Amino acid sequence: MTFEHCMRCTLCVENCPIYKVEPRFPGPKQSGPDAQRFRLDGEKSVDEWVKYCCQCRRCQVSCPYGVDVAEIILKAQLKYGSEHLSPATAHLFANAYHFNKLGSTLAPLANKAKAWPVTKGVLNLFGVSRELDLPEFRFVNMERGRRRKGKGRKVVFFHGCHLGFNRPDIGRKVRDLLVSMGCRVVIPTQTCCGLPALGNGDLDIAKRFAQKNAAVLTKYINRGFDVVYACTSCGLTLMQDYAGILDVPGGRKIAENTYNVYEYLLPQMHLETQGGMLGRLESKIAYHIPCHLRALGIGYPAAKIFEMIEGLTCHVLDDNCCGLAGTYGFKKRYQDASRRLGVIAAAPLRDLGADAVVSDCGACRMQLEHFSGLPALDPVEIIIEAITQKDFGRDVPAKGWKRLLNYVT
Amino acid sequence: MSESLYDVVIIGGGMSGLMAGIYLAGKGFKTAIISRGDPVCCLSTGCIDLLDAGVRPLEAIVDLPDGHPYRLVGKKGIDAALKVFRDIMAFCPIPYVGSARHNREILTPIGTFKTTCLVPRTMEASQGCRDEYLHVISFAGIRDFYPSYITSKLPNTGFSLYDAGVSSTLAIATRFEEAGFVDEFCTWLSSLEIPPGRVALPAVLGLVNPMAVMEEISGRIGRDVFEIPTLPPSIPGLRLFRTLKKSFQDRGGDVFWGKPISSVETRGNVVEAVTLAASGRPSRVQGRAFILATGSFVSGGLYAARDAVSETVFGLPVEVPGARKDWFLNDFFTHGHPIEGSGIEVDASFRPRRNELENLFVCGSILAGSEIMKHHCGHGLALATGLKAAISCERALP
Repeated sequence: MTFEHCMRCTLCVENCPIYKVEPRFPGPKQSGPDAQRFRLDGEKSVDEWVKYCCQCRRCQVSCPYGVDVAEIILKAQLKYGSEHLSPATAHLFANAYHFNKLGSTLAPLANKAKAWPVTKGVLNLFGVSRELDLPEFRFVNMERGRRRKGKGRKVVFFHGCHLGFNRPDIGRKVRDLLVSMGCRVVIPTQTCCGLPALGNGDLDIAKRFAQKNAAVLTKYINRGFDVVYACTSCGLTLMQDYAGILDVPGGRKIAENTYNVYEYLLPQMHLETQGGMLGRLESKIAYHIPCHLRALGIGYPAAKIFEMIEGLTCHVLDDNCCGLAGTYGFKKRYQDASRRLGVIAAAPLRDLGADAVVSDCGACRMQLEHFSGLPALDPVEIIIEAITQKDFGRDVPAKGWKRLLNYVT
Repeated sequence: MSESLYDVVIIGGGMSGLMAGIYLAGKGFKTAIISRGDPVCCLSTGCIDLLDAGVRPLEAIVDLPDGHPYRLVGKKGIDAALKVFRDIMAFCPIPYVGSARHNREILTPIGTFKTTCLVPRTMEASQGCRDEYLHVISFAGIRDFYPSYITSKLPNTGFSLYDAGVSSTLAIATRFEEAGFVDEFCTWLSSLEIPPGRVALPAVLGLVNPMAVMEEISGRIGRDVFEIPTLPPSIPGLRLFRTLKKSFQDRGGDVFWGKPISSVETRGNVVEAVTLAASGRPSRVQGRAFILATGSFVSGGLYAARDAVSETVFGLPVEVPGARKDWFLNDFFTHGHPIEGSGIEVDASFRPRRNELENLFVCGSILAGSEIMKHHCGHGLALATGLKAAISCERALP
């Protein structure tokens, strides 16, 4: 559907997180379909405010006519980005993958250095916010861990940058969960999915990343592998943008063969639960649904698994954007909007009296942990916890010193 | 293809679908709601219009034409549905007041009064506001809410403007939820010299917990305070939708949002599954029973081509009033264009009448003869038929 199908009902405006907190952003209706009729090829963009959109894609989900408001805005952002000199932060975050890789290689030093006031000061000069700490780098990243494991259904695990370099512990848990459910997991060499580059207005870099991944993933798909992701933003990019705006070769095929990890495991989990796989877990969690999981339109499969865990109370919260939106909230220019959204999203978590906040997205977790003070977990951490309670005698994640073996082997 | 299996699959996430979903999920059925986007109730005033027919709407049901869905539900059924709705909302931060037996009048932003039935408690004091002095508070720069429309129309009124630093209803509502803002606002409000009477504001008192905000303001200034519904984007409509959706999810219901249905599968007289056109790979949702609550033309449940009207999901036969030349009255602004009565005809159990499908139920404004614009019965009809279809569906499930 094109901008001409918009009937100006303002449902997208009601769903826009940025419009609530950033008066300089005229909202998705005006910056999307309304302004689109004035945007001409070959004429320089004047709509600087399109950059305030954080690409949460809530507008896309809310539109009853199927107008892809977010994509109209994204194209305008890319057009603006290609015509104007981008700020330093855009270059920095578009290439987040390379910085992450460097940080991971120099992990102990890089982690110290990023906490120094002088580093923060320099980054701040270039437009990086001081509000949130940059995520920790891990030396034993996913590339350095064990990359082939298990027997059974053939699965390629696309972990993305956050699980790859910052939280490989979660990445390995996803890998082990897949293995314990009878999968042969392969973790191929992969780059950034391309979303940070898209969000920072650089289509060329995004395409370069996407083409590299597409070549690898297509090779495996042709050999009968399924692609599985855990990060919902990477997932959305693989599902929507590879065949869409990035137009990479094999994009359609990738989208057809890519699964959210919990969506992938749900049917089998059902069977295994009847066999008593999941143990009891006395806890109350708030499950913050990442905007990009909503946009995938696959429902909330992890919540279905939580329902199978006895003793676990899970409150699904899907009305708020956490406000970090990947790299958006790390920029000085957007830090106020991001902070206000973080406070709004964290309020119901505290009101519920939850023990922890759970979210599929690394950015959501960072933001919500910061503003709610609650521990933020990935769904896989809850599921593994429930499995290990039961210790059902298969290839469950090792405990204690054995866990080390996992990391180095 | 991703697959999932439910007892009941509801197509359409508006008032009617949510009502049916809340009822069925509450009864322990595995229920899913599929919605292509957000429903039009987000754009509504948040008030439940039952029937614009005098003070006692239930008594006027018998005067409706035979084909009107209210006649199928009956007085008792309508009364029960509104009670169920009020009970659902009672456990939420936005309780509703009123009953199906009495209509009430509330103030609109253009200084007229609108007949409605149940209202959120933030609008309770709107009733009878004509009898006292009324002071309207508006916000600097706000669009589509001009207090002088009210003051020029109603005697014994006045207004003041507050500068909240932002000018959209959503941004102001967000400010009301932030620490310190209510206090700042109340301090300003107390400093005004207003004759004794009531205070009214546009409906911007927060998105999540407006009652708490309203009670604080009302307590600080010692007066009755109420909200006046605004044009879309409408905060009370958004609150209503989100509260119902949350109630559904809290009862264990699943939502699939933002993707259209690309195909349906039937075997014999039974609907077996629908397929969602999700990005990349379609997902197939199977159900033992289906409820169609996709709404009328504006919501996309019905589609009017040049000479025919079609139902967009199952291709059910649609009742249409005559040929195209008979669809419209000459005066555009007259209520009751015959085309508004088009829709799906159902039997007493809310199954489509001119169709053999056994496990499909239909509710909401897609029903033939609804004529919502004419009767002002939108939300009431959605709730009453939603509950009725859900009860029929419950009985039909083994």
